[in-house]
Amino acid sequence: MSFFKSPVFRIAMTHLVSKKRQTIVAMLGVTFGIAIFIFQAGLMSGFQSTFIEETVNTTANVRIYNDVQEVRQSILEMSNTNKNAWIVVRNQKPKDEDPKVKDGKQIMDLIEKDPEVLGVSPFIGTQSLFRLGLAQASGRVSGVNIEKENAIFDLEKYMTEGNLLDLETSPNGIILGEGLAKKLGAKIGDNMTVTSPKGVALDMRVTGIHKSGITELDNARAFINIHNGQKLLGVDGSYITDINIKLKDINTAETIAKHYHDKFGFKAQDWKAANENIFSVFKIQNLVTYLIIISILIVSGFGIFNILMMIIYEKMPDIAILKATGFKDKDIKIIFLIESLMIGIFGGLLGLLIGFLMQKIVGSIRMDINGFVSMKYLKFNSSPGFFIFAYCFGLIVTALAGYIPARKAAKVDAIDIIRSK
Amino acid sequence: MSKENYIFETKNLSKFFRDPVDFQALKNVDISIKRGEFVSIIGSSGSGKSTLLYVLSTLDTDYEGQIFLDGEDLSKKTKNQLAEIRNAKIGFVFQFHYLLPEFTVLENVMLPALKLAKYPEPEIKKRAMEKLEMLGLADQADKRANKLSGGQQQRVAIVRALINDPDIIFGDEPTGNLDSKNAQNVFDTFKELKEKFGQTILVVTHDMALAAQTDRSIRLHDGEVVK
Repeated sequence: MSFFKSPVFRIAMTHLVSKKRQTIVAMLGVTFGIAIFIFQAGLMSGFQSTFIEETVNTTANVRIYNDVQEVRQSILEMSNTNKNAWIVVRNQKPKDEDPKVKDGKQIMDLIEKDPEVLGVSPFIGTQSLFRLGLAQASGRVSGVNIEKENAIFDLEKYMTEGNLLDLETSPNGIILGEGLAKKLGAKIGDNMTVTSPKGVALDMRVTGIHKSGITELDNARAFINIHNGQKLLGVDGSYITDINIKLKDINTAETIAKHYHDKFGFKAQDWKAANENIFSVFKIQNLVTYLIIISILIVSGFGIFNILMMIIYEKMPDIAILKATGFKDKDIKIIFLIESLMIGIFGGLLGLLIGFLMQKIVGSIRMDINGFVSMKYLKFNSSPGFFIFAYCFGLIVTALAGYIPARKAAKVDAIDIIRSK
Repeated sequence: MSKENYIFETKNLSKFFRDPVDFQALKNVDISIKRGEFVSIIGSSGSGKSTLLYVLSTLDTDYEGQIFLDGEDLSKKTKNQLAEIRNAKIGFVFQFHYLLPEFTVLENVMLPALKLAKYPEPEIKKRAMEKLEMLGLADQADKRANKLSGGQQQRVAIVRALINDPDIIFGDEPTGNLDSKNAQNVFDTFKELKEKFGQTILVVTHDMALAAQTDRSIRLHDGEVVK
C-alpha cells in the first residue's frame, strides 16, 4: 500500500483539511517567510554579485607596485641590541623614494612568459588636477598602454562615447570617467589641462568617455597614454608605478601574488586583498539580512508549533483511540510530522512562487540607480540553487517546529485520556 | 488445566500506584476466560475494575504478574509488539465512543483494518460494510461519525472493535453514557455477537442488571477478586 493511502497520511490530511483556516494561516507564515527570503536575499545577493563582478573587472587579478608607505624600521632601531633600552624616533618621514617599479620592463617580460598569465599591462598613476576653463576637479590619472590595458580590463565594453583606440593614435588624448566628465562639463573634442603634483601641466583633448558602473571610480578616473603619464611625472620612459596582471584562473591570484612578491621584491596584491574592505562590508550586510529572514522563518515556525499544539490538544481522544486500536507511538508522531511538513511544503512552494513574481515585477521596473554602483534595473539572484536553498531552509524550520508537538502527541498516555472521559 | 481452553488468563496480577501515596490497586488477580465467554467485571467504584481492564487490555504495562492472550505471555512484549497485538487481536469499546469526528462511519470502522493491512482496501471495505449491516448500521455508512445519535455511535464503536476479528473484545463501561433503552440495545448487540459468532467479550460495568445478563460476573473488591 502506498504511503499516500496509508491511514496515517489520511488522518494527517483530514486534520489539515478540517481545520482549513488554521492550516492556511500556518501556511501563509511559511509563504511569507520564503517570499521575503527570495526577494530580500535575492536582491542583496544580486546586488553584491553585480558589484563584485564590476569591481573584479576593474581590479587587476594581481597588481605589482612599490609600496613606499610601508613602515620601515629606523636605522637606530635596527642597530640597537640592548633589550633594556628604549628608543624613540620621532617624526619619522618616509624616505624620499620614487614609487617606481624598478626594471619594470624586464619584470613584465618575465611575467609574460608565465603560462598562468593571460596579460600584463604597465601602468603609471598619479593624483592630478583636471581643468577645463574655469571648471576643475581632482582625480587620478592612469597612464596606460591602452591596448594592453584593454586586454586586461575589457575597457572597450565600458566606453559610452568615443573610440578607445583613439588614445593610442592621438598624441594628447584623454579618456574621462563619466562622472568626472560631468563635473568638468567636458565633451568629446574639448581641450583641457591636466596638472600633476610635480607641477607639470599637459594640454589634453578628450577622446572618449567611459563608465565602469562603479560610481566612485567614474567620478575620478581618467586614462591617458603611458608616455604622457611619464611626462606628467617628469620621469623617463622606463618608469612605471604598477604592473597589472590578468590570470587564466583568478582563484590562483593569491598564491601567484605571493610568488611574485618573493621573486621581484615588490608588493604584489591580489584582487581579493585589494577589495577586502568591500567583502567585509558585504559580510556584515549578509549577516544582518539573513538574521532578519531567519527571524521571520522562526516566527512562522512558532506559528506552526502553536497550531499543531492546538490540534493535538483538541485531538487527544483521537490519539487515545488510535493508540488503543494498535497505532504505535511512531505512527502518531508521523501523523503530526506529516501535518507540519505539508504546511511547509505547500506554504513554501507558494512562497517560492510569490518571491519569484516579486523579483520579476520589481526587476522589470526601471530604477536608474546611481549609488555605489549604477544600474538601470535592480538585479536579483534568481539561480535555482538559491531557490532550493530557501525552500530547504523553510522545510527544515517547519520540520523542527513540527517535531516537538509530534513527539508530545506520541507520548500521550491513552489511559489518562480514557480515564478522564 | 491446559491453556488451550482459555483464550485469556492472568496469573498473580498486581498493580501498584506510587503517586501520590503507595497504593495497591490490584492484588494477585487470577482470572481466566474461555473462548466464546461473555464475562462482566463488577464492583463498586474504586474497586479497581477499570484499572484491571486497562492492564488486561495491554494499554497499561506497569504491573506485576503475567497475562496470557491465546497462550502468549504479554508481560514480556515491547510497547510496539503490544500495539500490534492490540491491532490484530483485541477490540475496544469504551464508555465514550471515540469515533474520529471528521471521518465517515465507514472510514472509522476501516481504520484499524487499514493499519493492520492484512487485506487490500476493497476487501476491507467489503468486510466493514458486512459488519455494519450486521448491526443495522449500513445506511449510516457514509455519514460523518459526529452526525449519529449516541446509541448509534456506540454501536459503530462496536463494529470498529470487530473489524479485525479480534480474539477478545474489552468493554469499559460501554453503556455508561447511554440511556437504559440504548444501553440494553448495546448489551443485546454484545449477546448476539457471543451467541451467533462465539465472540469472547469482557466488560466492566457497574450496572448489575446488565451484568446479570452475562455468562459470568467477576466481582472485584479493593483490588481483589471476590469468589
